[in-house]
Amino acid sequence: MNLPERARGCLVGLAVGDAMGAPAENMTAGAIAERWGEVTGFLTDTPAGTDDTEYAAFSALLLIDHGSQLTSAAVADAWIEHLAGRTGGFPGAGFSELGTIENLRAGLRPPASGDHLHSWSDGLAMRAAVHGVFAAGDPVEAARLAAVDGAVSHAGEGIYAGQAVAAGVAVAMSGGVLDDVVAAAIASVPGDSWTGMALATAREHAHGNTGESQAWSVIAEKLLDTLVTPRYPWTDLGPEAVGLAFGAFIAAGGEFSVAVPRAVSMGRDADTTAAIAGALAGAMGGYSAIPPAWVDIGPVTGRCLGDVVAGLHLADLADHLVGATS
Amino acid sequence: MTDPSPNVLPPEASSARAAGRDVRHGALIGLAIGDAAGWPARQHRSRLLPPWTRRLRRELDTFAETQDVTSLPVPFALNQDPTPLRLGPSDDAEWAAWTLTWLSTMGDVTREAVHEVWRVAATSGTVPRGRISVATAVDGLQGGVEPPHTGRHNPHHFDDAAAVRAVAVGAAVGDPDRAAEVAGWDAEVTNAGDGVDAARFVARFVAAAVAGGTSWHQMTDGGLDRLGSAMSGQEDADSAVPEGTLLGRTVRRAVEATAEAASPAEAIPLLDEVVDRVYSYGTAAAQTAAIAVALTDITLRHGTPPIDAITAAACLPSLADSAPALTGALVGAARGAGEFPVSWVGRCRVLAGCCAPDLAGVDIMDLLDRATGPVVKEGKHL
Repeated sequence: MNLPERARGCLVGLAVGDAMGAPAENMTAGAIAERWGEVTGFLTDTPAGTDDTEYAAFSALLLIDHGSQLTSAAVADAWIEHLAGRTGGFPGAGFSELGTIENLRAGLRPPASGDHLHSWSDGLAMRAAVHGVFAAGDPVEAARLAAVDGAVSHAGEGIYAGQAVAAGVAVAMSGGVLDDVVAAAIASVPGDSWTGMALATAREHAHGNTGESQAWSVIAEKLLDTLVTPRYPWTDLGPEAVGLAFGAFIAAGGEFSVAVPRAVSMGRDADTTAAIAGALAGAMGGYSAIPPAWVDIGPVTGRCLGDVVAGLHLADLADHLVGATS
Repeated sequence: MTDPSPNVLPPEASSARAAGRDVRHGALIGLAIGDAAGWPARQHRSRLLPPWTRRLRRELDTFAETQDVTSLPVPFALNQDPTPLRLGPSDDAEWAAWTLTWLSTMGDVTREAVHEVWRVAATSGTVPRGRISVATAVDGLQGGVEPPHTGRHNPHHFDDAAAVRAVAVGAAVGDPDRAAEVAGWDAEVTNAGDGVDAARFVARFVAAAVAGGTSWHQMTDGGLDRLGSAMSGQEDADSAVPEGTLLGRTVRRAVEATAEAASPAEAIPLLDEVVDRVYSYGTAAAQTAAIAVALTDITLRHGTPPIDAITAAACLPSLADSAPALTGALVGAARGAGEFPVSWVGRCRVLAGCCAPDLAGVDIMDLLDRATGPVVKEGKHL
């Protein structure tokens, strides 16, 4: 399988996961099951990507422009140029994005701009797959680029969560098997970090369980029990999101058509967890692993970030990312 | 009773002891007054009323929204005893009292012993109701997670729950370095980063005031730099507010923004510029401690009444749960209990038990006297 095939699988896979998970965002697994039964595909007739797709596209543009010379200063400049001037809020974005924008508007630069009250959010993890595509086969470089990108908007665990996704995708991009992908993600973060322990927990509960739906419901319950912080009301924790996403990915044996619906079925930040699972499975299985019924996801709408990303096709961005490498 | 043998001491020693006592009580009663002054105190204290009163209040919130009226509901008693809704302290004062209680009965105060207190309390279900950071840490402890992971793997590791407890640590432990160390051990159970740094700062500030006795003002001579030194532990640094943290940056912004303010009240609109408007909770230590430091700085520079700093802090609604309390602790430590109006002290020294039912009716001034007796008398233990 060639790089463009995997790159398209990753980014289109991310967008598919985002669109499939969006209607289930912030819902519980029980409520999702009650409303839709077993998740087997899109939950609406008009699936559309949200912030995950748009911020990933935005970071892809930065990589296409700057390549491995990307700096946090350049990322900050791009956020200021294209995002900070937007009025009327940031539809679909989380606390970490607006916190970053407020910091940038106040004149802070990275890493201070990423040091706000949601520095550990999954907002970098949702866009970090592009760094794994660009640095295919080099998880250390992918994690480095994710940290460079993330310094504008995140710190600590938020950076780690992004590193894990980027490193995992980078290994999947070069044909790594599931165990290698997961190991690379874990190796990219400190072992005693929250993210590192969440990934290890996900692997422990999900590994080797690729069987029928009954087994998955047991796994899902364990993942939710061990990874969710019940005394916190929001669903945007980076360690939790990557833990759930990797759990679904591992339990599905990396199979796209299984991993993404399973991530959606757990709810929480379902668009982001499914986007991450989709990016990992798409990079591992390639574009052809995405079921034909899902693959025509359409261009980026721009509802979150506007003209800078509106109309972009993820497959085109994937091709450009691969091209930018060589 | 407080001073066990005032008549046998030389006059200067007696006076220094009285001053130390006044500072200790000042920190604690200042915390309680500030705790009471913020609007969330009534919400916390309404926990002492039946749950249906709070359910109806939530329904009245919805009513205001759906009926498009500007009448917003407040905690109410209907056919219940309205006593809990009187002005008085709530969560923060009870947390300081809980901390004083275990600290004063501990033998050798070690990191492991402090963690063990939490472990035992968590597994026996006796930890008072607390913030998200605390509840998450307790869940972790119950699940076998060890400190400091309980504070680090914690969504609200940055909040000021430990900074509030550190008021008690600073008041009980006379030595600033030791107070910061003990407060850090306690803080790392529930917090990390700014949450721990703020706790160490508060403990050090209060303990320095205690250690300074009547010359407490020496430690704040030099304004911000001395406050910054207290925060970082680098006593000789010229400019020691840690630059590389959200806490350090926010403290500096708050102090700089209010450099020209002649009174705490005048500073409030300037401090509003420092307030986070993005997040759904207002207890981040970087925010509340920054407000407390800035208002304390103004109070000490201009010699304004300490109560003015507290009532001003209560005018920042999103930080009103704990910024007034921390402000009260710092100005109370710096100026002493005797400078607070009797009307406030009288209403705020008795705990309601809204977070720790066992503490209902406890007088925190008396509790402090019992807790710090050995320290005052023998200068040991802590």
